Amino acid sequence: MMADKEIGTTRRLTEITDPEFERFRDFFYRKTGIKFENSKRYFVDKRLIERIYATGNNSFRSYFTQMRFQASGEEVQQLINCMTVNETYFYREEYQFEVMVENVMNEIAANKKDKSDIRIWSIPSSTGEEPYSIALYLLEYWPQIQHLDVEIVSSDIDSKVLQACHAGVYNERSVKHLPARTLKKYFSETAQGNYQLNKDIRDAVKFSKVNLSDINETKHYRNFDLIFCRNLLIYFDDESRKEAANVFYDALNPGGFIFLGHSESMSRISSLFKVKKYPKAIVYQRPLTGENK
Amino acid sequence: MALKKQNDDNVTELSPRRSERDFNGLKNSLHEGDEDQRRWAARDLASFDEAVGPLVKQLTEEKSHVVRDAIYLSLQKIGNQDVVCQLIPFLSEEDAELRNSTIEVLQMIPEQIETHIISLLNHQDSDVRIFAIDILQVLAHAKTPEWLLSVLKDETHVNVVAAAVDRLAEVGTASMVRDIEEVKTKFSDEEYLMFACNTAIRRIKANS
Repeated sequence: MMADKEIGTTRRLTEITDPEFERFRDFFYRKTGIKFENSKRYFVDKRLIERIYATGNNSFRSYFTQMRFQASGEEVQQLINCMTVNETYFYREEYQFEVMVENVMNEIAANKKDKSDIRIWSIPSSTGEEPYSIALYLLEYWPQIQHLDVEIVSSDIDSKVLQACHAGVYNERSVKHLPARTLKKYFSETAQGNYQLNKDIRDAVKFSKVNLSDINETKHYRNFDLIFCRNLLIYFDDESRKEAANVFYDALNPGGFIFLGHSESMSRISSLFKVKKYPKAIVYQRPLTGENK
Repeated sequence: MALKKQNDDNVTELSPRRSERDFNGLKNSLHEGDEDQRRWAARDLASFDEAVGPLVKQLTEEKSHVVRDAIYLSLQKIGNQDVVCQLIPFLSEEDAELRNSTIEVLQMIPEQIETHIISLLNHQDSDVRIFAIDILQVLAHAKTPEWLLSVLKDETHVNVVAAAVDRLAEVGTASMVRDIEEVKTKFSDEEYLMFACNTAIRRIKANS
């Protein structure tokens, strides 16, 4: 198959061949656990070609060799960033919120013998859709919220997105998966046609800046019962993922739970957690004290 | 009762690490504390290059999986020659967790393991030679194909050769096909190796 064409005196790569795609797909799967089906060919090829040229290469082969053997792993990281879409909106992957209110929160509440607050950590906060979704879902679908106090903390490494979290203003696309009733109840429409979350809900989530890779920052995050960390670890290299798994382990109370993104697997990162299978989703749990031998 | 209103001072909770966080304090906690204290000591010792000895010693005595996990991560973070030298003997251990975790740590520090790969590939124990190839499996090092090629040329143990051929299926180049063909001649009675060689050749040719 001809994979390139003449432009002036330079041959421009325009296609990734089938064997090249398979080679890349196998490599990317081993690295991230993400497997691209043939239906994603256009998406993958386009980004691969972009990275091939961005790194000064003119063939898949030279690019792949450079990336594969680069000790710093920088290009692998760039590629992962390109191949993963950092998209967020309210009630994204809603089935996990369903598991939260139908299973996980009830188990946490049942184990809270001292009736202390239930603490939830959402990271990364991005522009706030996830932590606010947690708040709204609990208010709408978890009756026990009337009898227990819940604290929600949300963190991100980017201070700019934290400002957006505080403002709580979202466009149509961000809120399109919210039931109309929920939108009406908790948001007010702005003059620009956006939606601002009510102050009561905004005040119920505490935002903070944290770098998951910095133990001096993370070691103060403790005593959480539930962590949401979805679609973040796919951006990390192996060492950072292991560090993050250890941060989450230390941040959780024994028996605490963690949700990862649907394409992420804690079992591939660390054996610190137990796998809990619920009808709608897999959740990871820090073993109870005494289960670690 | 409901969602709690947040104020500025309740995001984080102070870590209940009460013992001294200097090297000697951490070393004592690593050995004498309860599980949480040993784990935290192991985590914090990652800041001290001189902690390799105490961490490796604790690894051989430690019963808690979560403490061992923290020790491996700290050794990986320290990632110096001392770590490599003290971990390599564990490749000969019967304890599979200790062995596999050692391989994982060594895979993560390619610059440090480089000078040891040749001697590991020539180790008297064939299992250790296979583990050396396992280390090469994800080791991001430019010499990986060259090291694997040396296995094809010099190695006599069929399982070690098979492991190297398997790896070359991914990282091999067209110039290595002839060496893989020679493996087929050398081990013509080994059906699995024939299959592995043919697969590697097919994949290399497809990618050339």
